[in-house]
Amino acid sequence: MLFKLENLSHRYSDGTLALDNVNLDFAKGERIALLGTNGSGKTTLLNHLNGILQPTSGRILFEDQPLKYDAKSLLNLRKRVGFIFQDPNDQLFAPTVEQDVAFGPLNLGQPADQAKKAVEEALKVVGMAEYAEKPPHFLSYGQKKRVALAGVLAMQPEVIVMDEPTSNLDPRGTSDILHLLLHLNKEFGLTLLLATHDVDMVPLFANKLCILNKGKLVTTGSPVELFSNTNLIREVNLRSPRITHLFEVLKKENNLSVNPQLPLTISEARKEILRLLYLENPFENY
Amino acid sequence: MSHSDIYTQIDRCAYTNRFAKTSPTTKIFFALSALIISVSSTSLIAPIIIFASTTLLLLYFARVRVRLYLFLLAYPTFMVTLSCLFIALFFGTGQPIAEIALPWFNWTIFRSGVAMSIATFFRVEGAVSCLFFLVLTTSVTDLFITLRRAHVPKVLVEMSLLIYRYIFVLLEVTGKMNTAQKLRLGHSGVMRRIRSLGLLAGNLFIRTLEQGERTFTAMNARGYDGEIRVLEDMPPSSKTALAGIAVFDAALVVAVLFTMNIGVV
Ligand SMILES: Nc1ncnc2c1ncn2[C@@H]1O[C@H](COP(=O)(O)OP(=O)(O)OP(=O)(O)O)[C@@H](O)[C@H]1O
Ligand SMILES: [Mg+2]
Repeated sequence: MLFKLENLSHRYSDGTLALDNVNLDFAKGERIALLGTNGSGKTTLLNHLNGILQPTSGRILFEDQPLKYDAKSLLNLRKRVGFIFQDPNDQLFAPTVEQDVAFGPLNLGQPADQAKKAVEEALKVVGMAEYAEKPPHFLSYGQKKRVALAGVLAMQPEVIVMDEPTSNLDPRGTSDILHLLLHLNKEFGLTLLLATHDVDMVPLFANKLCILNKGKLVTTGSPVELFSNTNLIREVNLRSPRITHLFEVLKKENNLSVNPQLPLTISEARKEILRLLYLENPFENY
Repeated sequence: MSHSDIYTQIDRCAYTNRFAKTSPTTKIFFALSALIISVSSTSLIAPIIIFASTTLLLLYFARVRVRLYLFLLAYPTFMVTLSCLFIALFFGTGQPIAEIALPWFNWTIFRSGVAMSIATFFRVEGAVSCLFFLVLTTSVTDLFITLRRAHVPKVLVEMSLLIYRYIFVLLEVTGKMNTAQKLRLGHSGVMRRIRSLGLLAGNLFIRTLEQGERTFTAMNARGYDGEIRVLEDMPPSSKTALAGIAVFDAALVVAVLFTMNIGVV
């Protein structure tokens, strides 16, 4: 196991129990989505994975070794686990895009020319190469998010942890970032873990879904499995993807014989519709 | 142009003008040397040449927008005009050029006072144009790298680097909070306005602390170990440009020395 969280709890100094006995593990190359309402503890959980927060009880194993919190171990961990914050303004501090992306590689001790190459490549991957010399305050929010991602990619981590990577992005920006992440996962085996409340995005991205509610890990499973359990989804104040909801209604209100494993994405829905049409009229050509 | 807007515009100009890619060392050398010559000149010739050439460089060669430059110049010019009027009317000794008999004393305007006032005006305008030259053509990034190379203490450079970046973030936040207050009628009436501004200031202070904390966390997440390292690739200074500036300065110094004893009026 790459990461293993054992009985992880976190209580903030004001007494809020933000994580309550969470057990979770995930392997290399997985794409995990953490889903939960506002205040359910997603950010708190993510912040444990690269040592920003320490558990108040329980422990975290990384490659079967418990995390250590001295400066050197943290540096080693952060080399391998990149973190992208919810608000790119927190992350971008340098006067130009290029300088900002170079920050990580230079901290890893790369010489200037190597760092520069890493910066160029990372900016190319996120499609921001032509903005290298601009200061961050000239960029749009979505562009800042891309630069923040480049800042982490340039360090070539094995795991990327992202807090709401697609919030405040337009549809195009969201789809671009998603494709980029999927590409990185496929091409380089990058492990991805992201927190979100964008349920429509989850089935497109994740192979594993974790649902958090009030600091507790309610359940873990594949998106298909969990979204088919409509009662559970409703209980934790989430909803299914729109398209899934449509089929749920068709099944309930119109007694359509929909497959109990409800479609989650447009392409699955298309297949299901064609299947239903075929059942209706096998002689038509679909 | 609003005030917060002007900072953004200066900043934008510094990154986009035609001299943005020339060596900052060259630009700093030009601006500082001309500034020193301008303020130490006793005659008008050097400051006028300096003002004219920096203005020409800025507007014609660097393509800085005329409006921006004039807008910036307006402030110091206004202040200097006031001070110079004051100098002309109340300073000086020796030969009087006007005497006005007031009921309680004789008010004299001296020739030397007027001369001093005119000289001061041009010296300051010359110096100000040099500063604007630097500000409008050299990005803060380049300044930081130059400072670092000049062995200015790291703490100072790193602090200014962060301050610079977050000025813009906080400007944005302030703008948004201000609008939010206005939309909820927080600025109707003087008392309410004062109260709203107080709230805004207090909030901004807290936001600043939070921002600091979050940025520090984010920096740590990328392996910050107490030192901000930056890529230091800067355009090299061109020998010809430096030589040109040196000749220009030398000519100015000669002009200053030769006109030293020529009166202003
Ligand atoms: N610094 C803090 N001090 C005290 N309590 C906190 C702090 N940060 C978060 N909390 C509390 O911990 C709980 C979990 O917060 P967390 O930020 O992890 O939620 P989240 O799932 O990321 O929510 P969102 O979707 O809004 O980002 C919330 O009840 C929140 O009020
Ligand atoms: Mg959060």
